[in-house]
Amino acid sequence: MTELLIRGARKAYGATLALRRGDFDLKGGEVHVLIGSNGSGKSTLCKIVAGSVKPDAGEVVLNGAPVTIAGPQASRALGIGIFYQELSLAARRTVAENILLPELPATGGLFVNRRELDERAARYIAEFADVAGDGFSADTPVLNLRADQRQLVEIMKALASEAPILIFDEPTSALDRAQVDRFFEILKRLKGEGRAIVFISHRMDEIFAIGDRVTVIRDGETVATSNIAETDPSTVIRQMVGDQGELVAAAAAPAAAPGEARIALQVDRLGGQGFTEISFRVARGEILGFGGLHGQGQSSVLRALFGAASHDAGSVTLDGKPYKAASPRDAIAHGVAYVSGDRSRDGVVQGRPILENVTPIHFLRNRIGLVRPSALKDKADGPLKALKTKFQTIDHPINSLSGGNQQKIVIARWLIDRPDVLLLDDPTKGIDLQAKSDLFALIRQLAAEGMGIVLYSSEDAELLANADRILVFNSGSVTRELRGDERTRYNLYHAAYEAA
Amino acid sequence: MTSLSPTADRNPFAAALERLPFLPALLILVVLVVLNGWFEPNSLSYRAITGLVSTYLALMMLAIAQTYVVMAGDIDLSVGATLSLVNVVVIVLMERWGGGGGMVLLACFVGILTGLACGLINGLVVAALRLQAIVATFATSIFFTGVALYVLPVAGTPAPAAFWRTYGGRILEIPFVFWVVAALALLLVLLVRTRLTLQLLAVGDDAQGAFQSGLPVAAIRIKGYVLCGLFAALAALCITGDTASGDPLVGGKMTLYSVAAVVLGGSALSGGKGTVVGSLVGALIIGLINSLVFFVGTPSEWQNLVQGLAILIALMAGVFVGRRVGQ
Repeated sequence: MTELLIRGARKAYGATLALRRGDFDLKGGEVHVLIGSNGSGKSTLCKIVAGSVKPDAGEVVLNGAPVTIAGPQASRALGIGIFYQELSLAARRTVAENILLPELPATGGLFVNRRELDERAARYIAEFADVAGDGFSADTPVLNLRADQRQLVEIMKALASEAPILIFDEPTSALDRAQVDRFFEILKRLKGEGRAIVFISHRMDEIFAIGDRVTVIRDGETVATSNIAETDPSTVIRQMVGDQGELVAAAAAPAAAPGEARIALQVDRLGGQGFTEISFRVARGEILGFGGLHGQGQSSVLRALFGAASHDAGSVTLDGKPYKAASPRDAIAHGVAYVSGDRSRDGVVQGRPILENVTPIHFLRNRIGLVRPSALKDKADGPLKALKTKFQTIDHPINSLSGGNQQKIVIARWLIDRPDVLLLDDPTKGIDLQAKSDLFALIRQLAAEGMGIVLYSSEDAELLANADRILVFNSGSVTRELRGDERTRYNLYHAAYEAA
Repeated sequence: MTSLSPTADRNPFAAALERLPFLPALLILVVLVVLNGWFEPNSLSYRAITGLVSTYLALMMLAIAQTYVVMAGDIDLSVGATLSLVNVVVIVLMERWGGGGGMVLLACFVGILTGLACGLINGLVVAALRLQAIVATFATSIFFTGVALYVLPVAGTPAPAAFWRTYGGRILEIPFVFWVVAALALLLVLLVRTRLTLQLLAVGDDAQGAFQSGLPVAAIRIKGYVLCGLFAALAALCITGDTASGDPLVGGKMTLYSVAAVVLGGSALSGGKGTVVGSLVGALIIGLINSLVFFVGTPSEWQNLVQGLAILIALMAGVFVGRRVGQ
């Protein structure tokens, strides 16, 4: 019988420790669920087994013999197949080609054997034929498929490995009920054949429907493994949360109840790509938190409010006046600011001096064409000091700064001309602790001075410590609002994981 | 990469365009043929077409060479230098060994090996050492040119008669170059069906995904460069037949023409989308533009300007047709 053991797996990306200590055992004939909150190290653990990430320490034992997994090819040769959360599909290739891409059948090792390719792919396509939906066929390029159909292709690709060990890293996030049911039928059959299956999902109901055992991973460490029959959703969540589950968050309560304070931003039933029926208000002086698992629509809502993505339903009022941003330029003119955690894509002007990175918004809002550099430097000086930014001179390129200081520059550019609403989209990604605490002190101060702030953070601790209220997102809508004493880690996870 | 909608409601032209991305290029080619015929009816004669093919066969080969690296999202700025190097190697060997038939064939064989070696060097530098393709192959192009200048410092050594007479001659009353085109077509049909072509396209589509799927990404990219070297060497043999002499700098300006031909043929420089047929058509478009500029009677000092504009227009027309049909 297949047996896979992982002992003390550890992996750091630069200064970030993605996996501290991963212990995991997997047996043939079981579905073993792996669960943990955002960034707890689940995917890293899976990728170590799949060979696409090399561990810094730890050992992998397969059927009693220690093995080193040098790469994805080696992993496949050992009989391990994986479904990647971020998918590993070639968009312009067809469904059939993608399913068999890792082992294309070839005549004489040279020419693609189309007949065999089609026959073998057809087997896996047939399994999902009646639930795949319109426009899904063997010769459709993956590019033309919907998100759920692409996920099905990735599932078929993992199944086509016919490996004794199968790893599914969030295979159901885009699937509908019927597709999930079909997938579970297949998993049960594979389990019956003696295959060993790792299953990652954030849906509690799915985990209890299909799992045999569950391992909880918290802050990069596997903390508990139990039989599904002997545990329940609340216990699992308690294990994910750890000791701090019942602590009420430390954020300062809002100065006044939102009803009385001036509302800076009001959003009614906003809908668009990746979110529906989003309604909330942000008062001046308040920090509203967006929480929940990664990618449940939080960023999409913020980007839509900033005009960087479109929305097709609902209305927004800014300071009581109707507001609809056609572009980021438009949003900036209306006094809406947006800071993204993805600095290199959305924030930093690479290779240019710090000064130029602090002042673009100033130029835009005041329609400045020409300016004396010295006058500009005076303007830039204030916000940079307020943020305790460390730099040699203001003419040094921004790339000479650390990630945390770069992010401060990106925030500083909004502070020369104060916006009314500040949208923070996971702003602390990849920055150090000191910079984080400086940043949040400043954000609190900005709120106190009358700004309305929306904060999305993928770090739950950060959210709990800094948000006055928290809206928990799930699959593109808000499932729960946590206020006052309700702001505990337990409640946050409970809402995010839809535990009944 | 434009449409993300499900296939059900898409028009048949869009589906055809997806399978055959060179259709707009083919349309431009037809327009150019008609224009050529309009301004110079003789340009459509059997003789003239034979001349056109023997002149542009080298560029066609070079465009095919470029296609195999572009498929994987790479680029090769040394194809022209490779061509020059093979050209002078072949010329010098044929001169040293005498112009006999067997010796000419042997020299061609060594030339092809030289091309393969250049491709292998590029592949190793780009895929194994992971240097940026555009700069790394620019550097190797200078290196290959240097070697070519060492082999033959000045242009001019003539090719033996046995060589260019064959290239310009006929076999069974059919011009030799048409035999080459037929053999090339057969070779391309075979190559399209190889596992390597599919793997190159998959790597070009998403290199990380291909790596995670367990494809040997580095090896695949190296093979793409080796194939590129092979076709660059074949291009060199064609140009040697056409010019009947050695020139260590003959291919330099052809490099970017090959890239232009690939793009005109509907391939994406970002990789994942490309057909050799498209690149062939692209090379012919460039050839026909050049002859059209001549037939229209453009004064010589204006020829570059008009030629450049015409290529720009062809590029825009290709994009325009592609977008229109894709909608």
